[in-house]
Amino acid sequence: MTELKRIDARGPRFGAGITSALSLASFALSFQFGFIVGYPLMALLFVLFAWSVFAPKSHPYQLIFQKLVRPRLKEPTELEDPRPPQFAQKVGFSFAILGTLGGLLISALVPIAAAFIFIAAFLNAFFGFCLGCQMYLGLRRFGLIR
Amino acid sequence: METSLIATLGLLALGVLVGVVFKVLQGKGRRVSSREIIDLGKLKAKNNALPITDYGKKATLVQFSTEYCGQCPGVRRTLSQLEYRLGGLRFAEVDITERLDVAAHFNISQTPTVFLLDEKGHLIYRMGGVPKMHQLMEELEKLGVK
Repeated sequence: MTELKRIDARGPRFGAGITSALSLASFALSFQFGFIVGYPLMALLFVLFAWSVFAPKSHPYQLIFQKLVRPRLKEPTELEDPRPPQFAQKVGFSFAILGTLGGLLISALVPIAAAFIFIAAFLNAFFGFCLGCQMYLGLRRFGLIR
Repeated sequence: METSLIATLGLLALGVLVGVVFKVLQGKGRRVSSREIIDLGKLKAKNNALPITDYGKKATLVQFSTEYCGQCPGVRRTLSQLEYRLGGLRFAEVDITERLDVAAHFNISQTPTVFLLDEKGHLIYRMGGVPKMHQLMEELEKLGVK
């Protein structure tokens, strides 16, 4: 097995906390004022997810975590494989695509995508439960991903 | 205002509900009546990266993991320590990332999934998710592992 650089699992959870706040705001705004108001936040989520899929090292969440949050925390008790959270980011990214591109055609897709992103990010941040990671095996078994 | 507030709070409540249900159901075990014999050699089970074929004198724990599984390394550590601490218990791990046939055969939809085998290798108990330790200890005691 190749040796991967292991990560502090609290990093992705910190990011998921911000993501859950953004997606909840996008959901609430598009519900209240129409999708056009919730859309910019969805577009922001799209950019953030794309960033963590394609260039995770320079991601703002990572930088904030390393500069401001991690120095205030205790040393991590264990480090984690980075692939599960990366896979989960791809799942989040696909929902953000649904929200941004699909939302242009069907406006209801903005709050719908925001709701899915919120549930997944919220569970990760506050319950330590990574929905995308858990789904991985099931999705593969049913042939939905390779 | 009303409806969007209700919808937003509803979404938040749904997140909490899913999280709590997940915490309760996670790792809950159930008896298996088929009493299928689990062939460790055929599964290419490993213990500390070495192939393992023989069962524990009293019981064997088999953990199914994937590369993407975030909680698998933690469970592996816990169960390895259990093997070290308790007499007559063996621990084996099977990586099913590339072996969807195995996942399909045993109907495994999440990792980690842990099987408990008796001294002859019959599958008698299984747990999906991070095992609830008190439950697992009870089951081990029934098999005479202390």
